[in-house]
Amino acid sequence: MSDPSVLVVVSRYGDVPGGAEAHARSVVQHLKPHFAIEVATTTATDYLTWKSELTAGIDSVDGVTVRRFPVERPRAWNFKLYERRAFRGGHTLDDERAFIDAQGPFAPELLDYLFKRGRDYDHVLFFQYIYYPTVRGLPLVPERVVLVPTAHEEAAIGLTAYKPVFHGPRAIAYNTEEERRMVWRRFHNERVSNEIVGVGIDVPAGMNAARFRSKYGVAGPYLLYVGRIGVSKGSRELFVNYERWRASDPAHDVSLVLIGDAEIAIPKTSGIVHLGRLSEQEKWDALAGCAAFVMPSLLESLSLVTLEAWAAGRPVIVDARSPVLAGMARRASAGLAYRSASEFAEICELLVDDPALGDRLGRSGAAFVARTYAWPRVVDTYLDLFAEVHTRLAA
Amino acid sequence: MKILIVVQRYGAEVVGGSESHARVVAHRLAMVNEVEVATTNALDYWSWAPHFPVGESKDGPVRVRRFAVTGTRTPNFKDAERHVLFEPHTLADEEAWLAMQGPHTPELLEFLRREGSGYDACLFYTYIYEPTAAGLPLVPECAALISTAHDEEPLRLVPYRALFQLPRAFGFLTPEERDLVHARFRNEHIPSEVLGIGLDAPPWHDADPFRERYAPHGPLVVYLGQVSEGKAVDELIADWIAHRESGGAGSLVLAGTTRMPIPECHNIVSLGRVSEEDKYAVLEAADVLVLPSHLESLGIVLLEAWQVGTPCLVSAKNKVTSGQVARAAAGASYDRGGFASALAAVLAKRDAFGEAGRAYVERECAWPAFDARLEQLVDLVAN
Repeated sequence: MSDPSVLVVVSRYGDVPGGAEAHARSVVQHLKPHFAIEVATTTATDYLTWKSELTAGIDSVDGVTVRRFPVERPRAWNFKLYERRAFRGGHTLDDERAFIDAQGPFAPELLDYLFKRGRDYDHVLFFQYIYYPTVRGLPLVPERVVLVPTAHEEAAIGLTAYKPVFHGPRAIAYNTEEERRMVWRRFHNERVSNEIVGVGIDVPAGMNAARFRSKYGVAGPYLLYVGRIGVSKGSRELFVNYERWRASDPAHDVSLVLIGDAEIAIPKTSGIVHLGRLSEQEKWDALAGCAAFVMPSLLESLSLVTLEAWAAGRPVIVDARSPVLAGMARRASAGLAYRSASEFAEICELLVDDPALGDRLGRSGAAFVARTYAWPRVVDTYLDLFAEVHTRLAA
Repeated sequence: MKILIVVQRYGAEVVGGSESHARVVAHRLAMVNEVEVATTNALDYWSWAPHFPVGESKDGPVRVRRFAVTGTRTPNFKDAERHVLFEPHTLADEEAWLAMQGPHTPELLEFLRREGSGYDACLFYTYIYEPTAAGLPLVPECAALISTAHDEEPLRLVPYRALFQLPRAFGFLTPEERDLVHARFRNEHIPSEVLGIGLDAPPWHDADPFRERYAPHGPLVVYLGQVSEGKAVDELIADWIAHRESGGAGSLVLAGTTRMPIPECHNIVSLGRVSEEDKYAVLEAADVLVLPSHLESLGIVLLEAWQVGTPCLVSAKNKVTSGQVARAAAGASYDRGGFASALAAVLAKRDAFGEAGRAYVERECAWPAFDARLEQLVDLVAN
């Protein structure tokens, strides 16, 4: 008997930045041995413009067939207007529909493929509740869908248009307890089969902090942030908190190292070092050497890089207002959460002055990741979810 | 509890099986709940032309909110429908078909989006029309779908793929409808209740005049309902003529609005539409009620025949009515060609079948039994 087939639907796929996209790709790689797996996605690489950068048609990534469908129009230049209309009180269903289309990626051929061929696959795995391919595509094949929502608190999730996305699928793979609790509170969709799945973290064989320090000239203790540097990631608050701390406490000579693409201007403050995008190995070397990893974003359904920092044995500093990150840090006993600039400063001082505390939290984080975010468990959970879908379809 | 019923048409003067069911349910639930209806201003299910005033009114204890249908059905609807049902077509064609079919009522949908979550339960009637297909997805967390589905081509279309996965619970008219929906959508995990229907006791009626007129000529075989090819009455007449030509006796009486030619023949009598009293009188006088239709979603007339102790003969092509007859053990089903022998078999056990039918209706269609099933459905949604 041939392997059951899975079609993975995600807005972008391949060498593209983005947490959910990296998540989808790593899940595909680990499910590949168990399924005849294909990906349906768009020709876009940039989630702000959805500009068609890649060729439409059949592509291959990591040996997996990827069907790319054209984005018929880039994100509306006046998208903010659509957002305002859809998010205001007293908006209409038409406002919501217009928002979903304007947000994109607007790829009607992807929908036509699902309409005509979706039921040829045993399972369809949708990533990201929020985008057009999921909102419009999931209702075409609901009886075989597992959804990975990657949801967090944001204005869009309050729209009525998303109710069928959370009530329609046969099963939901949540990233965290916190995500599930938030979705249940908003949608009351407890009856939909679900599991907390998340991802596995692949830890490299070796990490060398000294190699990182010497290549990039980083001396002394440093805080580290890895990821997109932008407003929605809380980067501005991070800069302000860091600058206030350093101004009030010049004795602690601690730098803030940033790895990733910057969407906003980075202050020329002494101590802030922006290195741009680094290789995987360099990233792990940097993680291994930091005094603490800082994740200021409020809007995360699962922060892969936070899990990686723990896997590297380092403590994490998070914003207490992020329910997912603060909840995970508490459950992992592997981080500290701040409510204000002064608490941010206190936490930094504590971790820099008492390296043994940081090591202890980091070890606890590494154990948490090994326990929870291990590929064998993640793959088994997916297999269980798919088996449940399949049993119902075949009955 | 606060309950909303959403249905494409509503009112005492509306003719239609699911619409009548919706109104019965509204009134039964209103005895112990706060019940509202969200519907359109249309009376006619083809044109959806405005008839009732838009806005709020009362139907006894039920608060009725009527929303305006915008635009009536266009003349090319049948072409568009044939295209999506029988020809290669696109996703957009199917989506457009739903809006063309109507009744397109944007204000009803906006009302559901705004207010729907404020009800403990929203019961949606008839899967096929836009108020349900587009409205239920706005309130899946508190929705029950009373689909009134039968095995027809539109059930395969895109707007319904998700619709049948979204409600918290289903209300089915019969076990056959439940089996059809489960087989088509693989949604057995969604809880359901087979509602059936409740019936009032028959009004005063006198069967003797009918008996006196027809009994001397042999068995009285009655058909009650719309007299049309759509209800397969042409097949019944052909079967009847064949039965008479091979030596069978008796009279075939057709009662109902006539929409087809009836052959001139002394043993076939067409009464046209009859009053409620005459309906029960002719049913009671009958030796057997025949229902040849292939597409009944409930077959209320069977239940009415059983109320007055008359057995039923139904087409084996219709799973719903043949299932009803088998469950009640109050008649038989027949294939084309087997009409005469099936008729003889039912006539031979007329009284036993009739009594079984009477007992079945007393058990299943008494109001307390129906109310209990209804309450169960509401509980599935509201909890």
